[in-house]
Amino acid sequence: MAAPMELFCWAGGWGLPSVDPDCLAVLTYARFTGAPLKVHRVTSPWRSPSGHLPALRTRDEGTISKPQQIITHLRKQGWDLAHPVGSNRAFAPQKYNADYDLSATQSADTLAFVSLLEEKLLPVLIHTFWVDAKNYVEHTRKWYAETIPFPLNFFLPNAMHKRHLERLQLIWGDDYMEDEEKLEKELYREARECLTLLSQRLGSQKFFFGDSPASLDALVFSRLAPLLKAKLPNGKLQQHLKSLQNLCNYCTSILSLYFPWDRGDPLTDAPRAAGTDGSEAEEDPHKRRKQLLSVLVGLVAMLGYAFLSGIVSIQRGGVGPAGRQPVTLEEEEEEEEE
Amino acid sequence: MSLVAEAFVTQLAAAEPWPENAALYQQLKEEQILLSDNASSLAVQAFLQMCNLPIQVICRANAEYMSPSGKVPFIHVGNQVVSELGPIVQFVKAKGHSLSDGLDEVQKAEMKAYMELVNNMLLTAELYLQWCDDVTVEEITHPRYGSPYPWPLNRILSYQKQWEVRRKMKAIGWAGKTLEQVLEDVDQCCHALSQRLGTQPYFFNKQPTELDALVFGHLFTILTTQLITDELSEKVKNYSNLTAFCRRIEQQYFEGHEKESSAIAARSSKRSLLK
Repeated sequence: MAAPMELFCWAGGWGLPSVDPDCLAVLTYARFTGAPLKVHRVTSPWRSPSGHLPALRTRDEGTISKPQQIITHLRKQGWDLAHPVGSNRAFAPQKYNADYDLSATQSADTLAFVSLLEEKLLPVLIHTFWVDAKNYVEHTRKWYAETIPFPLNFFLPNAMHKRHLERLQLIWGDDYMEDEEKLEKELYREARECLTLLSQRLGSQKFFFGDSPASLDALVFSRLAPLLKAKLPNGKLQQHLKSLQNLCNYCTSILSLYFPWDRGDPLTDAPRAAGTDGSEAEEDPHKRRKQLLSVLVGLVAMLGYAFLSGIVSIQRGGVGPAGRQPVTLEEEEEEEEE
Repeated sequence: MSLVAEAFVTQLAAAEPWPENAALYQQLKEEQILLSDNASSLAVQAFLQMCNLPIQVICRANAEYMSPSGKVPFIHVGNQVVSELGPIVQFVKAKGHSLSDGLDEVQKAEMKAYMELVNNMLLTAELYLQWCDDVTVEEITHPRYGSPYPWPLNRILSYQKQWEVRRKMKAIGWAGKTLEQVLEDVDQCCHALSQRLGTQPYFFNKQPTELDALVFGHLFTILTTQLITDELSEKVKNYSNLTAFCRRIEQQYFEGHEKESSAIAARSSKRSLLK
């Protein structure tokens, strides 16, 4: 029917299809509904059409960058999931909306739990990955510096760190940012409470609203999965999550059901190799171009030096040899003087 | 304060009963207080009324600066000062009064989630309207916010606060929203609240909880505050069960008092505020 839309998102790592929570949310939602998306796993935001990740390139409406807007767009396209996973959705008319089957109360609950996640859990997650000194230096920055190509890997992780720090400062106020203990005590406690509440709400169900996944599941999974899978040196919040067995099972089951083959490898050099064929093909011409560029730069530098210092000349025939003449004249004079 | 000292103080606090002279501080009702602060203050007052704890409302021009976290309202109980609804609920719980004990785990989770929904959407929308909508800022917010102070301090303080709020809006991604989108969000939030309330008298069981107090505080203030246009209150009026809910709580917890109730006074003072 419609040409597939293209989604640009961060590459995978730590056993996940994408490391960024926002990208993961959009990917998971698309998988839930089976919307046909061409996924480009890129390693730097400069490759995306809008400069930010995630980004959805559509045929008619240009590029959309905010995750919530992307999900709304998928719904508006008429992608409406009227059947649970596993049925012959491929033959049904293209309607993909994971929340189609929810009752009004469940939709209201979705809104409420999304607010809970965004207010209580997401800022603390950002803090754990990007601001907490040990985690940032030993884990997050290391991964991004190794994955982002030269020369962006020198300054992009730091720029992202500053941006996240500033955002947290504005949300929480200077009070919390300066007092580590207070932050740890109150905010992390509320985040742990939020995780416990999610666990209680999930109970022993497969998904939050019964047997088929909804957009809330995509969001919860995208926030919890990086926390669960990353190997953080300072992992207090992670330990609390691991103690909530039903949430861990929930994440692993979604991973195995919807992303069975394209997880990023935990090893560092594998992510580039494990990327999709599309991204590999994109890498090659760039690599060639880079090699050519570096050779060219070297040549130009050498030639430029040669010209400027007078070793080589072309037009003014006498410059080179003329330069030598004054020297020989001086020598003759010296000889004469002697 | 270290964790041990904190626990010790909480223990002390729990040991003392609720005093008669507990006080709640907010900005001046008639001239100074803004929509969002009035909503928060009313929510706390409603919560304390529901717990049957006497509280006296004291209006001070510098309430915002007196507060330990910079936000109003705050309560002064014994020798403790606690601000904002969340910490106040916990403080009151330490003293042995709680409205949400009868809820099971799933309901507690839902209650917390809906409280965050109100904070995330309604409160932010109120702040947006007050500080980011140019017409409202010029005609209502600036004159009110700096009214107790002489020129030029009143302008300086309001601009400072406006700049702070706008930065925060940018950080959470609301700066790019238009007024229509914000009103759309308010509508969505009211729709969700209306769905959850349904035909019950309160959100959970037959007893009010802190969620009811919070929703009442915000919706009542929105319904009874005169702004430039009535768009915001129209969004709430679309849901009849929410307006009935507000009326019910007002009748039950605020009109039954001998002394002048803060809710009625707030309503009449706001009504006369058309500039």
